[in-house]
Amino acid sequence: MSELLDGSLSPAEQAVVRVHLDECAVCRGVYADLERVRAAARDLGPIAPPAHLWLEVAGRVRLETDAAPAVAAAGAPDVRRARLQWLGIAAALVLATLTAYVMRGPSQPPPAATEAPAATTAAGNPRDTRSVEAVAEEMRLALQHYENAISGLEAITRDSNSAMDPEVAATVQRNLMVINQAISESRAALVDDPTSGPARESLVDALRRKMDVLTASVSLINQMRQGDQIGAARATGRKSS
Amino acid sequence: MALVDRCRANVPGAFEEVYRLHAPRLFGLACRMVGRVEAEDLLQEIFLTAHRKLGLYKGEAALGTWLFRLGMNQCLDYLRSKHARFAQVSDELPEERDGGVASAGAILGVVDRLDLERGLADLPPGCRTVFVLHDVEGLEHREIGSLLGISDGTSKSQLHKARMRLRASLGRGKHV
Repeated sequence: MSELLDGSLSPAEQAVVRVHLDECAVCRGVYADLERVRAAARDLGPIAPPAHLWLEVAGRVRLETDAAPAVAAAGAPDVRRARLQWLGIAAALVLATLTAYVMRGPSQPPPAATEAPAATTAAGNPRDTRSVEAVAEEMRLALQHYENAISGLEAITRDSNSAMDPEVAATVQRNLMVINQAISESRAALVDDPTSGPARESLVDALRRKMDVLTASVSLINQMRQGDQIGAARATGRKSS
Repeated sequence: MALVDRCRANVPGAFEEVYRLHAPRLFGLACRMVGRVEAEDLLQEIFLTAHRKLGLYKGEAALGTWLFRLGMNQCLDYLRSKHARFAQVSDELPEERDGGVASAGAILGVVDRLDLERGLADLPPGCRTVFVLHDVEGLEHREIGSLLGISDGTSKSQLHKARMRLRASLGRGKHV
């Protein structure tokens, strides 16, 4: 049937299969399903890669093509490199916590002020008895942690701008402008409706994208400071692994 | 000046333009062939390789076609390295197990895109690759056979197997 679908049968073979399909409702149904699967597959389009991937590519291309020795690496204090690495780890942890919060809700028990008889949902799960204010406050604190991490990353990329390739730096700025716009719009939507789930998810998604871009930028700056040899070794290592 | 020439001349922004134009299709291909997480690494490798090899590009095919071939080969290399049995899997045709849905006639309505992506991810790598190359990307069995080192007949059989498995996974719960 697949070959009939793809038109790869000879006319005689096609005729035989079609006669059978005319007579057999089961095979006719299977054939119709296969047509739907194939049509749906043809409609699968491109998938936009995450914004930070271009930064990674651009940084690695620069490491490969720029033959100039990384003089700056010698002057990069270890303590600063360590700070960059720790900021990256901290940012990842905040991101993981916030993502878990948005996906599953906070794990802390409800505050005493929301004491109420234990209730269950129709599915038998405990009903969430926290007040809207308590949830909003937890969300605010989580976002605050996130934004603090972003501020740290922003400060580093600002201070270290000269270490980054001008073309890559311009791309970072373009990406950040778009993401900042999305953050502003999500915040405005949350002001209008503080309980809006889509607005909250949109805000967290935009913050996550901003974190991705900034983390990739810090990683690039870090590589530049450590010297092109290390970055090149990493690229070679990836290639050979 | 043509985009490729601008890339070769290191004109600022030229290689980024190539990336913006072609990355979505290549990322889609990589996601479907190797999975989303690995696809991010692979996309980087594809463009790094493209940057290194731009000097070899003669312009016989469109740049997008050249990049697609390069990306597809990187995906296949990855699958071969990750799944030591990938080549064998491509040639093997285990007994079809579609959960008996063949006897139910038509079971599908409109196929949801996300359901199809999920079903694709669950396919064995051999038949998933043939399905992606043929039904999503539009390659002929002859080309697929040449790429995977299998016969046209095996490619056709793997495609049918993939379609039937997808039909079964998409139709799960929809048939009586």
